[in-house]
Amino acid sequence: MSSVAHRTSTFDKLVDRHFRHILLLPALVFLLALGTMPVLYNLFVSFQDITMLDENRSFVGALNYKRLASDTRFWEAWGHTFLIAAIALPVQIVLGLGLAVLFLPEFPAKRVFVALMVLPTVISPIVAGASWRLMFDHQFGPVNQILGWFMGEVPVILWTTDPSFVYPAIVILEVWAHTPFVFLLLLAAMAQVDRSLIEAAQIDGASPWTVFRRVVLPTIRPVLYTVILIRFVDLMRLFDFIYALTQGGPGTTSETISVYMYVQGFQQFATSYTGALAFVSIVVTSILIFVLMRRASIAR
Amino acid sequence: MKKYKFGPELAMIEPAYRDSQMKWDGKIYGIPDDGDVLILYYRKDLFADPANRSAFKAKYGYDLAPPTTWQQFSEIGHFFTDKFAPKLYGAGMIRRASFLHYFFQERFRNEGGRFFNPVTMKTTVNSDVGVKVLAGMVADQKFMPPGSQDWGIPESLNGWLSGNLAMTLWWPPVGRWSEGLQAGEKAMAFVPRSQIAGKVGYALPPGGRPELALGWSLAVASSSKKKELAYLFIQFANSEQVSIDRVQLPYSLRDPFRSSHFSSPQYRALWPTAGEYLDLLKIAAQTALPDLSIRNTFQYEEALIRALQRASSGVSPKVSLDDLAKEWDAITERTGVDKQREAYKIWASSPNAYPKK
Repeated sequence: MSSVAHRTSTFDKLVDRHFRHILLLPALVFLLALGTMPVLYNLFVSFQDITMLDENRSFVGALNYKRLASDTRFWEAWGHTFLIAAIALPVQIVLGLGLAVLFLPEFPAKRVFVALMVLPTVISPIVAGASWRLMFDHQFGPVNQILGWFMGEVPVILWTTDPSFVYPAIVILEVWAHTPFVFLLLLAAMAQVDRSLIEAAQIDGASPWTVFRRVVLPTIRPVLYTVILIRFVDLMRLFDFIYALTQGGPGTTSETISVYMYVQGFQQFATSYTGALAFVSIVVTSILIFVLMRRASIAR
Repeated sequence: MKKYKFGPELAMIEPAYRDSQMKWDGKIYGIPDDGDVLILYYRKDLFADPANRSAFKAKYGYDLAPPTTWQQFSEIGHFFTDKFAPKLYGAGMIRRASFLHYFFQERFRNEGGRFFNPVTMKTTVNSDVGVKVLAGMVADQKFMPPGSQDWGIPESLNGWLSGNLAMTLWWPPVGRWSEGLQAGEKAMAFVPRSQIAGKVGYALPPGGRPELALGWSLAVASSSKKKELAYLFIQFANSEQVSIDRVQLPYSLRDPFRSSHFSSPQYRALWPTAGEYLDLLKIAAQTALPDLSIRNTFQYEEALIRALQRASSGVSPKVSLDDLAKEWDAITERTGVDKQREAYKIWASSPNAYPKK
């Protein structure tokens, strides 16, 4: 009897101690199942030989991974993805930061301007990409026409097919579309900086640059790192803009990893091989995110 | 088909469509429903102009006429561009690589090219013929409008229908659209209003064997719950009686594919030169080259598209095609050389796969 009472008491204590965790458990299991089950199934498929063209579902071991290792197009696609991220991300952050500083003081119709600034973020990426493709069009688009005003004649710049111009075109579109997001979050963070800290620094004779660097920036750092992380993840999976603007071309010049996976999966119907590409991509991206989060101390 | 006695009507579909879009290895898989063949459209008024004719003859030593070789196509193109640009250019057409590969397939075979060695199944697309054809296609850009390297359907239609081009290669609807037959149709709002009605002539593309590029067939899904009903709808839409109306509807995007369509008095009366147009389409239908169709064709096409893009953007045709050959060989290996050899043998033995010498 006393043994049963003791066990009940231990169980009760355990429940009491972990009650909040127990309450979280259903949601945690649900989320893990939602997140990990597709990845595990994808891993399973990547060891098969499934295409959308026949009924063969035989296991081929690591054959798809062996093919992937020597698939130069796959590694080039990673290179293109990193290249776009390496250019677009710093530009977005610097511009977003600059605009946030500009919009920090109160001025007439500030809210209207902020609302106008964030308009690109509400446009569907595929629509934005298609619209910019038209904007860049040599025959019908305004971009070359406007350049022509400054150059004397309309230049023949093939933004979406000339290898020298596809990256500038992609970066312009990326910066146009996502700088407002960076701006909005950083503006909100800056607005929360304690005015007394800034005033104290100013009384001590700090210049505006010093105030920004030593007071504002450290205060908004967690938000800044979070913004960088979100944008980095977005850039790693960049698809819509590229597909609408260049379709990864000319050739494979601007093909990102997401576009390459789309080509393999939905144009070449290589289901299992695409599974292998996707699994490796998930692993690479997860490692990068983990490293970034550790550096930014976000997960703590 | 036997049950509903559609056989005699199937036999009245033009051979090129019937042979290449209906059967595979003797088995019927779908019913051809569109005469999608690339032909040459040219501006008769410009070709007949005495000043143009004498200037052209003085420069090139032969009469100005629709080109029968790609050399002539290039010379005529340069002639008009040199004389009239930027108001008018010698030629322009769809150059976006997702379509351009049909033009390559046509020109390559007209020049004597073969896609594969039928014994080893090694790719021969990077042969001297392939390199010459691709170099020629890239060089043609010099007399085409600036920026037209990326022309898709709307841009090329606009270039032709607005009167800015002396020649174009396009699918059949352009014959009707050039005459303004679609004017006023809301569904055809994407087609610019024609400025060249009554000025258009028709010819086979240089080389003489046009490409049966794309094309539509009607088929019943194997998972259909109402297979017979679906088949009967296809038979109705594809029949002699109904299809003649469909190939004249501007918004149907269907073009003559039955013998009776070409001789239809109703169609031949649509505009003054409709008879010439239909006669040319009939010849094209009899000689058209079908698109390459083997196992995993779309994989080969995707690689070809990228090779053409690379060449258009400055990579040498030889390098582009050598890279392509490696990719094609890898696809063949993955598909299985023996299986692919068998598929290629069936395709290559179809009557029009390669021009007869």
